[in-house]
Amino acid sequence: MTCSAADQAELARVRRNIFLALFAALAVALHTLEVLLPTPVPWFRLGLANVLTLVALFLYGGRAAWTVSLVRVGLGSLLLGRIFSPGFWLALAGVIVATGMMIAAWHWGRRWLGPVGVSMLGAAGHAVGQLTVAWALLVRHAGIWQIFPVFLLVAVITGILTGWVAAVLLEHLQQYEPFRKIEQET
Amino acid sequence: MTTGDCLLAVGLLSLALAGLVWCATGPVGERVVVSDGQKVLYTAPLDTFIEVDLEGPLGLTRLRIDEQGARIIGSPCPLKVCMGMGPARRDGDILACLPNQILVEVVGARAEDAPYDLLSR
Repeated sequence: MTCSAADQAELARVRRNIFLALFAALAVALHTLEVLLPTPVPWFRLGLANVLTLVALFLYGGRAAWTVSLVRVGLGSLLLGRIFSPGFWLALAGVIVATGMMIAAWHWGRRWLGPVGVSMLGAAGHAVGQLTVAWALLVRHAGIWQIFPVFLLVAVITGILTGWVAAVLLEHLQQYEPFRKIEQET
Repeated sequence: MTTGDCLLAVGLLSLALAGLVWCATGPVGERVVVSDGQKVLYTAPLDTFIEVDLEGPLGLTRLRIDEQGARIIGSPCPLKVCMGMGPARRDGDILACLPNQILVEVVGARAEDAPYDLLSR
Protein backbone atom coordinates (compact mmCIF):
# COMPACT_ATOMS: atom_id res chain seq x y z
CA MET A 1 0.00 0.00 0.00
CA THR A 2 1.30 3.50 -0.75
CA CYS A 3 0.76 6.22 1.83
CA SER A 4 2.31 9.66 2.28
CA ALA A 5 3.99 10.67 5.59
CA ALA A 6 0.89 12.64 6.68
CA ASP A 7 -1.31 9.66 5.96
CA GLN A 8 0.93 7.48 8.09
CA ALA A 9 0.52 9.78 11.09
CA GLU A 10 -3.23 9.93 10.54
CA LEU A 11 -3.34 6.16 10.18
CA ALA A 12 -1.45 5.70 13.46
CA ARG A 13 -3.82 8.11 15.24
CA VAL A 14 -6.98 6.42 13.95
CA ARG A 15 -5.56 3.01 14.72
CA ARG A 16 -4.71 4.11 18.26
CA ASN A 17 -8.23 5.44 18.83
CA ILE A 18 -9.80 2.26 17.54
CA PHE A 19 -7.63 0.08 19.75
CA LEU A 20 -8.36 2.30 22.76
CA ALA A 21 -12.10 1.95 22.14
CA LEU A 22 -11.66 -1.81 21.90
CA PHE A 23 -9.61 -1.89 25.13
CA ALA A 24 -12.28 0.15 26.94
CA ALA A 25 -15.07 -2.10 25.63
CA LEU A 26 -13.15 -5.21 26.70
CA ALA A 27 -12.50 -3.69 30.12
CA VAL A 28 -16.23 -3.03 30.60
CA ALA A 29 -17.02 -6.60 29.53
CA LEU A 30 -14.40 -8.11 31.87
CA HIS A 31 -15.55 -5.93 34.76
CA THR A 32 -19.19 -6.97 34.29
CA LEU A 33 -18.23 -10.63 33.92
CA GLU A 34 -16.15 -10.48 37.08
CA VAL A 35 -19.00 -9.04 39.14
CA LEU A 36 -21.20 -11.93 38.00
CA LEU A 37 -18.62 -14.61 38.86
CA PRO A 38 -18.73 -16.25 42.29
CA THR A 39 -15.65 -15.51 44.45
CA PRO A 40 -14.10 -17.20 47.51
CA VAL A 41 -14.70 -14.14 49.73
CA PRO A 42 -17.73 -12.07 48.72
CA TRP A 43 -15.83 -8.78 48.25
CA PHE A 44 -12.82 -10.33 46.52
CA ARG A 45 -12.27 -9.18 42.93
CA LEU A 46 -9.32 -9.95 40.70
CA GLY A 47 -9.56 -6.64 38.85
CA LEU A 48 -9.05 -8.23 35.43
CA ALA A 49 -10.33 -5.05 33.77
CA ASN A 50 -7.14 -3.41 34.99
CA VAL A 51 -5.20 -5.57 32.51
CA LEU A 52 -6.59 -3.37 29.74
CA THR A 53 -5.64 -0.15 31.57
CA LEU A 54 -2.10 -1.50 31.97
CA VAL A 55 -1.86 -2.47 28.32
CA ALA A 56 -3.14 0.97 27.26
CA LEU A 57 -0.61 2.60 29.59
CA PHE A 58 2.37 0.63 28.31
CA LEU A 59 1.36 0.99 24.64
CA TYR A 60 -0.05 4.50 24.45
CA GLY A 61 0.83 6.34 27.68
CA GLY A 62 -0.93 8.01 30.60
CA ARG A 63 -3.84 9.66 28.80
CA ALA A 64 -4.88 6.39 27.24
CA ALA A 65 -4.80 4.72 30.67
CA TRP A 66 -7.13 7.42 32.07
CA THR A 67 -9.50 6.94 29.13
CA VAL A 68 -9.76 3.18 29.56
CA SER A 69 -10.13 3.24 33.35
CA LEU A 70 -12.67 6.09 33.55
CA VAL A 71 -14.77 4.74 30.68
CA ARG A 72 -14.69 1.35 32.39
CA VAL A 73 -15.98 2.69 35.72
CA GLY A 74 -18.62 4.92 34.11
CA LEU A 75 -20.02 2.38 31.67
CA GLY A 76 -19.52 -0.58 34.00
CA SER A 77 -21.52 1.10 36.78
CA LEU A 78 -24.19 2.17 34.31
CA LEU A 79 -24.56 -1.41 33.05
CA LEU A 80 -24.72 -2.86 36.55
CA GLY A 81 -27.17 -0.20 37.72
CA ARG A 82 -24.79 1.15 40.34
CA ILE A 83 -24.04 4.59 39.00
CA PHE A 84 -23.98 7.33 41.70
CA SER A 85 -24.58 4.77 44.48
CA PRO A 86 -22.10 4.75 47.42
CA GLY A 87 -20.39 1.78 45.77
CA PHE A 88 -19.89 3.83 42.61
CA TRP A 89 -18.02 6.59 44.47
CA LEU A 90 -15.83 3.99 46.16
CA ALA A 91 -15.05 2.39 42.80
CA LEU A 92 -14.37 5.77 41.19
CA ALA A 93 -12.03 6.85 43.98
CA GLY A 94 -10.23 3.50 43.82
CA VAL A 95 -9.77 3.77 40.08
CA ILE A 96 -8.61 7.40 40.17
CA VAL A 97 -5.91 6.71 42.78
CA ALA A 98 -4.96 3.41 41.12
CA THR A 99 -4.60 4.96 37.67
CA GLY A 100 -2.67 7.92 39.09
CA MET A 101 -0.29 5.57 40.91
CA MET A 102 0.20 3.37 37.86
CA ILE A 103 0.95 6.33 35.60
CA ALA A 104 3.39 7.79 38.15
CA ALA A 105 5.10 4.40 38.56
CA TRP A 106 5.27 3.94 34.79
CA HIS A 107 6.53 7.47 34.20
CA TRP A 108 9.30 7.53 36.80
CA GLY A 109 9.99 3.87 37.50
CA ARG A 110 9.85 2.29 34.05
CA ARG A 111 13.52 1.41 34.25
CA TRP A 112 13.05 -0.76 37.35
CA LEU A 113 9.43 -1.81 37.19
CA GLY A 114 7.61 -3.97 34.66
CA PRO A 115 3.83 -4.34 34.27
CA VAL A 116 3.75 -6.52 37.41
CA GLY A 117 5.26 -3.83 39.65
CA VAL A 118 3.10 -1.08 38.15
CA SER A 119 0.03 -3.28 38.57
CA MET A 120 0.86 -3.97 42.25
CA LEU A 121 1.19 -0.26 42.98
CA GLY A 122 -2.09 0.36 41.17
CA ALA A 123 -3.87 -2.30 43.22
CA ALA A 124 -2.44 -0.84 46.45
CA GLY A 125 -3.56 2.62 45.29
CA HIS A 126 -7.03 1.22 44.62
CA ALA A 127 -7.28 0.09 48.26
CA VAL A 128 -6.02 3.47 49.53
CA GLY A 129 -8.51 5.38 47.35
CA GLN A 130 -11.47 3.25 48.40
CA LEU A 131 -10.68 3.43 52.10
CA THR A 132 -10.06 7.19 51.96
CA VAL A 133 -13.46 7.86 50.38
CA ALA A 134 -15.12 5.38 52.73
CA TRP A 135 -13.54 7.22 55.65
CA ALA A 136 -14.36 10.69 54.31
CA LEU A 137 -17.92 10.11 53.09
CA LEU A 138 -19.35 7.19 55.00
CA VAL A 139 -17.61 6.39 58.26
CA ARG A 140 -15.52 9.10 59.84
CA HIS A 141 -13.71 6.72 62.10
CA ALA A 142 -9.98 6.02 62.09
CA GLY A 143 -10.69 2.36 62.96
CA ILE A 144 -11.66 1.77 59.34
CA TRP A 145 -7.95 1.71 58.48
CA GLN A 146 -7.65 -1.54 60.43
CA ILE A 147 -8.86 -3.38 57.37
CA PHE A 148 -6.09 -1.84 55.26
CA PRO A 149 -3.49 -4.63 55.82
CA VAL A 150 -6.02 -7.20 54.56
CA PHE A 151 -6.82 -5.03 51.54
CA LEU A 152 -3.11 -4.50 50.87
CA LEU A 153 -2.37 -8.23 51.06
CA VAL A 154 -5.16 -9.00 48.59
CA ALA A 155 -4.06 -6.07 46.40
CA VAL A 156 -0.48 -7.36 46.11
CA ILE A 157 -1.65 -10.85 45.14
CA THR A 158 -4.24 -9.67 42.61
CA GLY A 159 -1.80 -7.02 41.37
CA ILE A 160 0.81 -9.67 40.58
CA LEU A 161 -1.76 -11.81 38.76
CA THR A 162 -3.24 -9.01 36.63
CA GLY A 163 0.23 -7.57 36.00
CA TRP A 164 1.44 -10.94 34.79
CA VAL A 165 -1.55 -11.27 32.43
CA ALA A 166 -0.86 -7.75 31.13
CA ALA A 167 2.83 -8.60 30.60
CA VAL A 168 1.94 -11.71 28.59
CA LEU A 169 -0.61 -9.76 26.54
CA LEU A 170 1.86 -6.92 25.89
CA GLU A 171 4.56 -9.34 24.79
CA HIS A 172 2.11 -10.97 22.42
CA LEU A 173 0.78 -7.66 21.04
CA GLN A 174 4.24 -6.24 20.45
CA GLN A 175 4.99 -8.99 17.97
CA TYR A 176 2.68 -7.13 15.61
CA GLU A 177 3.81 -4.20 13.53
CA PRO A 178 1.22 -1.55 14.60
CA PHE A 179 2.02 -1.91 18.31
CA ARG A 180 5.78 -1.99 17.80
CA LYS A 181 5.75 1.29 15.89
CA ILE A 182 3.70 3.14 18.50
CA GLU A 183 6.01 1.98 21.24
CA GLN A 184 9.02 3.42 19.39
CA GLU A 185 7.39 6.75 18.56
CA THR A 186 6.38 7.72 22.09
CA MET B 1 9.09 -9.94 36.53
CA THR B 2 11.99 -7.54 36.98
CA THR B 3 14.14 -7.29 40.13
CA GLY B 4 12.30 -4.07 40.98
CA ASP B 5 8.97 -5.89 40.75
CA CYS B 6 10.22 -8.60 43.14
CA LEU B 7 11.59 -6.07 45.65
CA LEU B 8 8.33 -4.11 45.52
CA ALA B 9 6.30 -7.30 46.06
CA VAL B 10 8.43 -8.27 49.07
CA GLY B 11 8.17 -4.72 50.49
CA LEU B 12 4.40 -4.46 50.12
CA LEU B 13 3.83 -7.98 51.46
CA SER B 14 5.95 -7.32 54.56
CA LEU B 15 4.05 -4.06 55.11
CA ALA B 16 0.71 -5.89 54.89
CA LEU B 17 1.87 -8.71 57.20
CA ALA B 18 3.29 -6.24 59.73
CA GLY B 19 -0.08 -4.44 59.71
CA LEU B 20 -1.94 -7.71 60.20
CA VAL B 21 0.25 -8.71 63.16
CA TRP B 22 -0.14 -5.26 64.67
CA CYS B 23 -3.94 -5.47 64.38
CA ALA B 24 -4.10 -9.02 65.76
CA THR B 25 -2.32 -8.21 69.02
CA GLY B 26 -4.02 -6.26 71.76
CA PRO B 27 -6.34 -6.77 74.69
CA VAL B 28 -9.72 -8.44 74.20
CA GLY B 29 -12.56 -5.91 74.30
CA GLU B 30 -15.55 -5.85 76.61
CA ARG B 31 -18.49 -4.41 74.71
CA VAL B 32 -19.87 -4.28 71.21
CA VAL B 33 -21.16 -0.89 70.10
CA VAL B 34 -23.05 -0.55 66.83
CA SER B 35 -23.52 2.88 65.30
CA ASP B 36 -24.25 4.46 61.94
CA GLY B 37 -21.14 6.62 62.30
CA GLN B 38 -23.11 9.30 64.16
CA LYS B 39 -25.44 7.78 66.73
CA VAL B 40 -25.42 4.49 68.60
CA LEU B 41 -27.94 1.95 67.32
CA TYR B 42 -27.22 -1.00 69.60
CA THR B 43 -24.81 -2.10 72.29
CA ALA B 44 -24.19 -5.40 74.10
CA PRO B 45 -21.45 -7.06 76.18
CA LEU B 46 -19.02 -9.16 74.12
CA ASP B 47 -19.52 -12.25 76.31
CA THR B 48 -23.18 -12.70 75.35
CA PHE B 49 -24.49 -15.10 72.71
CA ILE B 50 -26.92 -13.24 70.53
CA GLU B 51 -28.01 -12.61 66.95
CA VAL B 52 -29.57 -9.27 66.12
CA ASP B 53 -30.81 -7.47 63.00
CA LEU B 54 -29.60 -3.91 62.53
CA GLU B 55 -31.42 -1.57 60.22
CA GLY B 56 -29.52 0.55 57.70
CA PRO B 57 -30.53 2.43 54.54
CA LEU B 58 -30.29 -0.73 52.39
CA GLY B 59 -32.04 -3.10 54.79
CA LEU B 60 -31.13 -5.44 57.63
CA THR B 61 -27.56 -6.35 58.57
CA ARG B 62 -27.40 -9.43 60.81
CA LEU B 63 -24.88 -9.32 63.67
CA ARG B 64 -23.90 -12.41 65.66
CA ILE B 65 -22.00 -12.31 68.94
CA ASP B 66 -20.57 -15.64 70.15
CA GLU B 67 -17.40 -17.05 71.73
CA GLN B 68 -15.35 -15.98 68.66
CA GLY B 69 -16.44 -12.35 68.96
CA ALA B 70 -18.79 -10.16 66.97
CA ARG B 71 -19.36 -11.02 63.32
CA ILE B 72 -21.65 -9.89 60.54
CA ILE B 73 -23.40 -12.95 59.10
CA GLY B 74 -25.87 -11.33 56.74
CA SER B 75 -25.93 -8.07 54.82
CA PRO B 76 -27.91 -6.50 51.98
CA CYS B 77 -24.83 -4.70 50.54
CA PRO B 78 -23.51 -5.77 47.12
CA LEU B 79 -19.87 -6.59 47.94
CA LYS B 80 -20.22 -8.10 51.45
CA VAL B 81 -16.88 -6.74 52.62
CA CYS B 82 -18.29 -6.67 56.16
CA MET B 83 -19.01 -10.40 56.13
CA GLY B 84 -15.53 -11.13 54.80
CA MET B 85 -13.95 -9.23 57.71
CA GLY B 86 -14.56 -12.17 60.06
CA PRO B 87 -15.02 -11.87 63.82
CA ALA B 88 -13.91 -8.84 65.85
CA ARG B 89 -13.02 -9.31 69.52
CA ARG B 90 -10.06 -7.10 70.38
CA ASP B 91 -10.33 -3.62 71.83
CA GLY B 92 -10.56 -1.20 68.91
CA ASP B 93 -11.54 -3.82 66.28
CA ILE B 94 -14.25 -2.67 63.92
CA LEU B 95 -16.50 -4.20 61.32
CA ALA B 96 -17.91 -1.74 58.85
CA CYS B 97 -20.65 -2.20 56.32
CA LEU B 98 -20.26 1.01 54.37
CA PRO B 99 -23.14 0.73 51.89
CA ASN B 100 -25.58 -0.02 54.72
CA GLN B 101 -23.87 2.47 57.07
CA ILE B 102 -23.40 0.05 59.94
CA LEU B 103 -20.29 0.36 62.10
CA VAL B 104 -19.69 -2.39 64.66
CA GLU B 105 -17.00 -1.58 67.16
CA VAL B 106 -15.44 -3.52 70.01
CA VAL B 107 -14.50 -1.29 72.93
CA GLY B 108 -12.52 -2.00 76.08
CA ALA B 109 -13.45 -1.65 79.72
CA ARG B 110 -12.21 1.90 80.09
CA ALA B 111 -14.28 3.15 77.19
CA GLU B 112 -17.40 2.22 79.10
CA ASP B 113 -17.34 5.45 81.11
CA ALA B 114 -17.75 7.47 77.95
CA PRO B 115 -18.48 4.87 75.32
CA TYR B 116 -19.60 7.19 72.54
CA ASP B 117 -16.80 9.73 72.64
CA LEU B 118 -15.03 8.11 69.71
CA LEU B 119 -18.06 8.47 67.53
CA SER B 120 -18.70 12.19 67.81
CA ARG B 121 -17.02 14.28 65.17
